[in-house]
Amino acid sequence: MTTQSQQSESSLKSISAFFNQLALLAVCGTLIEAFFYQFAFNELPCPLCQLQRVALILVGLALLLNVKFGASTTHYAMILVASLVGAATSLRQVLLHIAPNDAGYGSPFLGIHFYTWGFIFFVGMIAYCAVMLIIDRNNMSNSARKVAVGAIGTFIIGLFFVLAAANTVSSVMVCKFGPCPDNPTEYAIKF
Amino acid sequence: MIMMLPFLTALIATWFAMRGQRTSSIGLWMVTLLIYVAWMKYHMTDSLNISL
Repeated sequence: MTTQSQQSESSLKSISAFFNQLALLAVCGTLIEAFFYQFAFNELPCPLCQLQRVALILVGLALLLNVKFGASTTHYAMILVASLVGAATSLRQVLLHIAPNDAGYGSPFLGIHFYTWGFIFFVGMIAYCAVMLIIDRNNMSNSARKVAVGAIGTFIIGLFFVLAAANTVSSVMVCKFGPCPDNPTEYAIKF
Repeated sequence: MIMMLPFLTALIATWFAMRGQRTSSIGLWMVTLLIYVAWMKYHMTDSLNISL
């Protein structure tokens, strides 16, 4: 009976690690897609867009901690808080463009603007935490001990770091070391 | 409002997490969140152009 219980806990840990890596990959995908539209179509991020990117990075960082140190209530709380502020920012941008005949900011993707996708993503992350808190209910750890991460997990973590660094450079290119214009049309620093 | 500041603190927090320094990473995550909230006040508190 004890062995069965240990096996069940072990498989739940594997499921948890898999989903946390998958969620981190989803965050990376979203950041890559934002970069694609920025560079391919010259759609520079507005201040609220930049704030949503920061919220995405905060969510990703908490997921990274889950991957690196094992699932923890602290990390899930971090995801929840980051998702709430991210959703608030997205919703604010939705409301800015909700009036009739307002074309919105930037191109739509599958008929929906990116800030609306952002809101859907952040609400999805809140739902993700609800599910993961059930899956991980017996596997929570708050220690600073690292867990083994496979090659794929290491790659995803590396990709996330590169994207976080690229976003830092991008924010300097768009806004230099000050506030961003409300509707940026060209880079403040050109190469 | 220095827009790159929360990106920079989040990047350093990510670096700490990758190096295995969990407490420092969480500390900088919280600093980033505080900056975020301050920037929210700056960018998100104008009245909306909505009439009902």
